[in-house]
Amino acid sequence: MPDLQATLENIVPSGSMSASRRPTGPPMIVMQKVTKRYVPERAALEGVNIEIDAGEFVFIVGHSGSGKSTFIRSLLHEVIPTSGRIIVAGHDLSKIRTAKIPYLRRNIGCVFQDFKLLPNKTAFENVAFALQVIGKSKHVIDTQVPEVLRLVGLEGKINNYPHELSGGEQQRVSVARAFVNRPPLLLCDEPTGNLDPQTSFGIMKLLERINHTGTTVLIATHDQEMVNRMRRRVIALDEGHIIRDQNRGVYGHAN
Amino acid sequence: MPINTGYFIKEAATSFKRNWVMSIGGIVTIFLSLLLIGVSLLIGSAANSLITGTESKVTIEVYIKDDANQTDVEGLQRKLQTNSLVKQVNYISKDQAMQIFKEQMKKSPDVINNLEGNPLPASLKIELHDAHDVNKVVDSIKAAPEFKKVCDRPDSPDSSLHYGQDIVQRLFNFTRVIRVVGVVFIVMLAVVSLIFINNTIRMAIYARRNELSIMRLVGASNWFIRMPFIFEGMIQSIIGALLAIGVIMLIQFVALPKIQNTIKFMSFGISNSFIWLISLILIAGGIVIGGLGSWLAMRRYLKI
Repeated sequence: MPDLQATLENIVPSGSMSASRRPTGPPMIVMQKVTKRYVPERAALEGVNIEIDAGEFVFIVGHSGSGKSTFIRSLLHEVIPTSGRIIVAGHDLSKIRTAKIPYLRRNIGCVFQDFKLLPNKTAFENVAFALQVIGKSKHVIDTQVPEVLRLVGLEGKINNYPHELSGGEQQRVSVARAFVNRPPLLLCDEPTGNLDPQTSFGIMKLLERINHTGTTVLIATHDQEMVNRMRRRVIALDEGHIIRDQNRGVYGHAN
Repeated sequence: MPINTGYFIKEAATSFKRNWVMSIGGIVTIFLSLLLIGVSLLIGSAANSLITGTESKVTIEVYIKDDANQTDVEGLQRKLQTNSLVKQVNYISKDQAMQIFKEQMKKSPDVINNLEGNPLPASLKIELHDAHDVNKVVDSIKAAPEFKKVCDRPDSPDSSLHYGQDIVQRLFNFTRVIRVVGVVFIVMLAVVSLIFINNTIRMAIYARRNELSIMRLVGASNWFIRMPFIFEGMIQSIIGALLAIGVIMLIQFVALPKIQNTIKFMSFGISNSFIWLISLILIAGGIVIGGLGSWLAMRRYLKI
């Protein structure tokens, strides 16, 4: 219905969407009035409304305790909001059944500050593990794992154990593990928190490359320099409130 | 989801190696509780076959004095035959009694040779339909006037009556005690083995917490996460059950025949099909205990 399409474009001012946002298909993440209280008197998130489209590259910034981790973990359904509605990759988390949660998580890759690699498995085995436990065949594992390790730049080290790799390399393994199943959404919680600036930049470039494949990338960080350098959408949280949402933004100062 | 059984077995084996003290504890307690279940079933069955053996042998014998009036004896016999509780009454003459005695004592001819004349009394052998009626029939015999006339020892008529009521009663009591004690022990041991399995699985979950957190993150299904622990509990209990079955088999095929050889007069043979039934019960019991223990542990310690 071309008429409807035209009408919609008239109603929604095109200025509200940046060039980097591609408003095709449903949004990857929708939060409506999301509030989370671990204790009644203090909210970790309060009245958060946000929409993140498929294919975006977004930074979530804020101090410790600003609600970044709660934000990320609520998308994984590890934290269940006190009120409000969250939709991730088409799953309405307020209605999701426990048995369906694993399938939600197969659509979400996760990267953490502490890498979370298994020390007794090689880089290959660590990445393969993620496919093994969702029941992929050996054939799929043997083709996809070397491919994704090549993508993250570790083709020469696939048989090394984590303790034989540098911090940056370990984080690359963990990115490979998060991405090997080609999830439409990649969540990164302080991915460069343990790395020096040079290595961090390499990881950011890698995440950017993954973003170019169409994957939505969401990064919680307090790495100011990195955010300023990348010039991507920035959502700033302070005491559970969104205080700023800018396209091509900078880290800025909450206070 | 393709079920990767090899993966689960490998995981369970690794966990067993990591945690073998607890695992062996679990296996031993399951083994003991299942062995106890098996042994009490065996004893119950042996006692049952003893009882039925004895019951069919519960006959009342009335010893008759040598100079008894033949019409009185026949009168008593006829009277008893009309009693509905009595199956049949046989008259055994002195000569027949001697014949039977000689047959029984074939192996020691000295005893027979030393006999002077025939000391054995003639008797009436009364077989009953149901061993429980022994006392009623005995009372009716005592009440019969012919009995006093013909009985072997008129001075104390009761000692002319022989029947095996005490043995039966004692066996009944014995099996009842065995049953109660057995059930108490079995329940206690089952609880202990549940606790052991619960603990083993808890340790296994703790040892694998890193793997588990990654499995959850990458979206391993809940059953995939649980399966290795269920396997572990099952393997432990099946090993325990197999050990218990081994011991039961040893008892049935090695120990019991030897005991039976030394105590010939009692038959407590247990049919092989009953042994297979016990084995089946033990395997099933082991799987129930193992499955339940793992399940309880996962409910408490494995957050999905």
